[in-house]
Amino acid sequence: MTYQADFVQPPRVAGWLVSLFTAAAGAESILGDLLEEYSHLASISGVAFARNWYWRQTVKTIAHLFGTAFRLAPWSTTAAVVGGCLLLRFVMWLGDKFLSAVTDRYLLFWSAHFKAYIWLLNGLWIEHFIAFMFVGSVVAFVAKGREMVTTMTLGLYLGTMAVAGSIAMATRTGDDYFLWRLPWFLADSLVIVIGGAIVRLRRSATNTLRPD
Amino acid sequence: MSRRDYLGEFEHMVILALLRLADRAYGVTVRQEIEVRTHREVSIGAIYATLDRLEAKGYVKSRLGEPTPERGGRSKRFFRVTAKGVTAVNRTQRALHNMTEGLGLVRCYS
Repeated sequence: MTYQADFVQPPRVAGWLVSLFTAAAGAESILGDLLEEYSHLASISGVAFARNWYWRQTVKTIAHLFGTAFRLAPWSTTAAVVGGCLLLRFVMWLGDKFLSAVTDRYLLFWSAHFKAYIWLLNGLWIEHFIAFMFVGSVVAFVAKGREMVTTMTLGLYLGTMAVAGSIAMATRTGDDYFLWRLPWFLADSLVIVIGGAIVRLRRSATNTLRPD
Repeated sequence: MSRRDYLGEFEHMVILALLRLADRAYGVTVRQEIEVRTHREVSIGAIYATLDRLEAKGYVKSRLGEPTPERGGRSKRFFRVTAKGVTAVNRTQRALHNMTEGLGLVRCYS
């Protein structure tokens, strides 16, 4: 069978997402198969149909690989999530201590309290970003070969807790402040997954460069 | 391996597709074979997850083919069923046959 649409590229982001969730050897076969069928579909049904098919396959494939990775190692994934939560508590405690120490030390020298408020606000943003990125990277580093499934499970757990906690607090106090903070909490979960993806990509690059 | 180690529904379909395709069996052809015969959209991830599981059980073996241009220079991974895999299919088929025998399913659906 010959394919006319050899030069039609499939969605890059979709291909990148598939390679994030598969081992290097598996990614080669899966991406090759997807590209072969995509080219064939693009030549007979058009690029729009083929792109739609490619995205559908990507979402289903990732969901399947995620489920399979979790089923193959449920205990070690759970252990990584629990360890990640404990590590996060410790890192956040350290960050809070540091922020408090700096604020207490220099507060007297600041001319206006507004500056202290800005410092704390920015400091909290940075503290959260560093802490969640660090925890995501450590969890992914420990869970070799299952970087994405562990960090996504941890991110989903923390995100679910944040949503449930925010709704509960908003219902109890009647203050919608907790709901406004939700995007901030969900961004924290996303940073954990980004940390995992960075470690995964670094590992893939190292494996590709290393001669067999 | 226990004598009660039967194939799951999707594992069964994948192995039957491999047997039908013989030396042409790789991700794309296996996916299409199942889709055409069962009218069920299957993801390539489901095919590979199942094939990896079957390979770990010793029911199938894989080898890499030559890289081809229509695959962006990537190799095909060809699969074949081992003797152990054929035994597992036969055992599962026999069990299914024993379970359906006398039920008159063909008459019910016609």
